[in-house]
Amino acid sequence: MTDVALEPMDDVEFPDDVHATSTGISNPKLAMWTYLASDCLLFGGLISTYLLYRNRPGNIPGLSGSSLRASELFNIPFTSMTSFVLLMSSLTMVLAVNSAIRKDVDRMRLWLVATAVLGGLFLGGQVYEFTEFVREGLGFTSNVSASAFYTLTGLHGAHVAVGVLMLISAVVYAARRTLTAEAVEVLGLYWHFVDIVWVVIFAIVYLIP
Amino acid sequence: MSATIDVDDDSPVHPGEHHDHGPSDATYFKVFWILVAITALEVSTYFWDVWFGESSWSLAVPLLILLMVVKFVLIASVFMHLRFDSKLLTRIFYFGLAVACIVYLVALAVMNIFTDNGNPWFNDPPPAVTPSAVVTGEDTGG
Repeated sequence: MTDVALEPMDDVEFPDDVHATSTGISNPKLAMWTYLASDCLLFGGLISTYLLYRNRPGNIPGLSGSSLRASELFNIPFTSMTSFVLLMSSLTMVLAVNSAIRKDVDRMRLWLVATAVLGGLFLGGQVYEFTEFVREGLGFTSNVSASAFYTLTGLHGAHVAVGVLMLISAVVYAARRTLTAEAVEVLGLYWHFVDIVWVVIFAIVYLIP
Repeated sequence: MSATIDVDDDSPVHPGEHHDHGPSDATYFKVFWILVAITALEVSTYFWDVWFGESSWSLAVPLLILLMVVKFVLIASVFMHLRFDSKLLTRIFYFGLAVACIVYLVALAVMNIFTDNGNPWFNDPPPAVTPSAVVTGEDTGG
């Protein structure tokens, strides 16, 4: 092997050495998009699992398991309302991002709080739905169909809960004036992804028989 | 309140990065109402069998999938700014999505979810297991 002398790159100009990246995209944003792409695989796996097992209630004689299916207990008007709430939270989130870009911190904070509240409402709706299902006799371990359903929708709920925590943190950081517009944009990406996943779950799990 | 966001105003416009974040609030509201209308149409399909009969499901299922894709693309393009950002981000996201779709469609096909060929362990309700089948270890499929 030959030795290669590394020459100093004095002639290379970095306009801002903190933010310059080889891709031209900021690292946090690129990292978030990469994470979201990988999350597609995670949710894809769980949706596929639900599709495989949704018609397999555990009513096998001699084996334990409930014969109930989650789809028999769906309350579509109620779930439609929670879907609308999550869709509305996407609007408030994008308005928060726009306000952050315009440096209108008051409106940004208002929209962030609104998004967190709507996210909380969605979570409340999911807790209510799960409670109703358990009251009807469909627990997490009732059968494989129920396990697949709770794992899929529960993991989505966990994503929403993490998003709400991040939104609350963003509001606190904004109050301390240490929140960057880019941070709000990256948070917005996460939140919209949660909404996108629900769009798919709502159609495939709840609406398609 | 007169607080300001700590935005790095001196940050340069990097090659490939679009600092024009595109749509106005009014555009976002427009897209939102389109999404609401699509959601309303989706929900209406739930009642189609009552309104139009069981046969309407053959139209409802493809329509639901189409509407789901339209909503997905609208949110990703406009709300997530993919349409206005670097193309690299679009490629990264849709690559992950495409890999997920291909992998799981193949997995579902292997497990016979798209065909009803008698495999009792996936999608179709399983057959009744009789005590004799359990004792003798009779193969019920899979």
